[in-house]
Amino acid sequence: MITTSRRARLGWNIATYAVLITLTIFCIFPLVWTLLTSLKYEADIVTQTMQYIPKRITFDNYVAIWTQSGFPTLVFNSFVVTATTVVLCLITGTLAAYSFSRFHYPGRGVLMLGYLVIRMFPAVLMIIPLFILMRGVGLLDSRFGLALAYTSFLLPLFVWMLKGFFDAAPKELESAARIDGCTRLGAMVRIVLPLARNGLVATSVFVAIAAWNEFLFALMLTTSQGSRTWPVGLQLMVGEFQLPWGVLAAGGIISIIPVMILFAIVQRTMVHGITAGAVKG
Amino acid sequence: MAERMSALSEQSPSIWRRLDPAAALGRLSESRYWMYLLLVPSAILILAVVLYPTVYGFQLSFRQMRLNRPDLGTGFVGFKHYIYMWSDKVFWLSLRNTAVWVTFAVVIEFALGLVAALALNRNLPGTKIMGVLILLPFFLPNVVAGHMWALLLDPRLGVVNDILVRLGFLETYKAWFADPSTALGAAILVEAWHGFPFFALLLLAGLKGVPDDLYKAASVDGAGPIRQLRLITLPMLRSVIAAAVILRVIGLVNSPDLLLILTGGGPGQSTQVLSLYAFQKAYKDFNFGYAGALSVVMFVLLMVFAWAYVRVSKVNQD
Repeated sequence: MITTSRRARLGWNIATYAVLITLTIFCIFPLVWTLLTSLKYEADIVTQTMQYIPKRITFDNYVAIWTQSGFPTLVFNSFVVTATTVVLCLITGTLAAYSFSRFHYPGRGVLMLGYLVIRMFPAVLMIIPLFILMRGVGLLDSRFGLALAYTSFLLPLFVWMLKGFFDAAPKELESAARIDGCTRLGAMVRIVLPLARNGLVATSVFVAIAAWNEFLFALMLTTSQGSRTWPVGLQLMVGEFQLPWGVLAAGGIISIIPVMILFAIVQRTMVHGITAGAVKG
Repeated sequence: MAERMSALSEQSPSIWRRLDPAAALGRLSESRYWMYLLLVPSAILILAVVLYPTVYGFQLSFRQMRLNRPDLGTGFVGFKHYIYMWSDKVFWLSLRNTAVWVTFAVVIEFALGLVAALALNRNLPGTKIMGVLILLPFFLPNVVAGHMWALLLDPRLGVVNDILVRLGFLETYKAWFADPSTALGAAILVEAWHGFPFFALLLLAGLKGVPDDLYKAASVDGAGPIRQLRLITLPMLRSVIAAAVILRVIGLVNSPDLLLILTGGGPGQSTQVLSLYAFQKAYKDFNFGYAGALSVVMFVLLMVFAWAYVRVSKVNQD
């Protein structure tokens, strides 16, 4: 009995490693290839026989994208837009998610569906009128205007995901705090938010990534170097200058560095996630 | 006078408490309308930035608006665009492609995401770094993901072609995105690569919230890993799964980005989907009215899907 269960566990462990190694290769091979491409001379990219390991390495592509274009400005604009979006989502979305998770009231189902319906509005349908509206109030071609647009269509995602995490936080601790004289707001801030902390971080990261990566709205709502974000800038460079593969790859690698740093922080927070700890303990 | 002063100083703490914004909000939270007040900030934002443009967009679909044909004016034309759509072959092709695109992408992404999350949740030594690497593709913007795979699958420089030829699966390099029979499949591969970490990350976060005690109790009762998955894990993850599937479907239907960068709908119309078709009608033909009508149809179809999905998975009843 003991040997079979031990053998079964060994089998599952081997399967787990096999699955993870396969998925890892699938996921990072394109990235590794892009990194290698960014380090090659253009002559070594366009060759008759494929060079898997570059015979010589150059950082010319990185120097080219960083100095010969407005790339630093584009990255900074993206950073401002992303940070603004996350703050707006945290303030407004957390309250809404808490309301949906903890209270049962007339109209709750309809309102939740309403928030979801917002998410379903096709971007193409919104984009032209939004352009006219933003122009009317002077928010066209502004980083704050873009962040507002991002917040409004990312909020439903934020609220629905966060509601799931709030639902998972045990209600007993909150009730105990209420009995001890906490207000509803006090119980939410002191008990529920810390319990759902890894959920809050995870949802914020999702929103940040979506804002950082967004392309269509930025293309439409920004018209100058002053507020243009980097995905738009990079795509326009591809179209205008026939950007060489190596330079394009270098731009892509630079763009994912902040994201990787952000995610490294989230990993740690998730490991020490207080929800799991509270539920288990 | 002295009496008054002492009365004032006695009162001042309560005045201070009344003016303290945190305490005021705390008292406000005891109101019976608190659950509605919590929704006010997000609702204002959504009404102003989403609802108004959308309503405008809806009425656009009943109007003539072609930026390159100002002579036609911007008058109301009733259901003209919708009637035209009925006989528009490209519309029906886009609809079919959208169904194929979304179904295959979501099924593949959910399956890969669940497998990845379950494997990562076993916390075997050395797998933590793989967890980080597996989630990476989702962070990549469509612009980079698109160009990266365009390079990988390039008919002349593509490393995927080179590997497949070396392994003997292919005779010669293949132009994946130029062949109508492989273009949509290749695009789905790119989308699956790009989107499955979304499921993995959400499901993994959900798995961390499932108490270990349930699994211990189940294994004492003799339930194996497969039964534990079916009877504990999936039911406990139900609301996370529902949210993930709905959000992914909406994202896939609405965003033309990846296909725009990879194929532009071609070759022919073999990778044309509704969102991309509407986008091109607006930005290539400047036919805002017809683009609006296409978007409205897309929106109605999504609404029907979400309503049916919420009904089936009963997320509202927990």
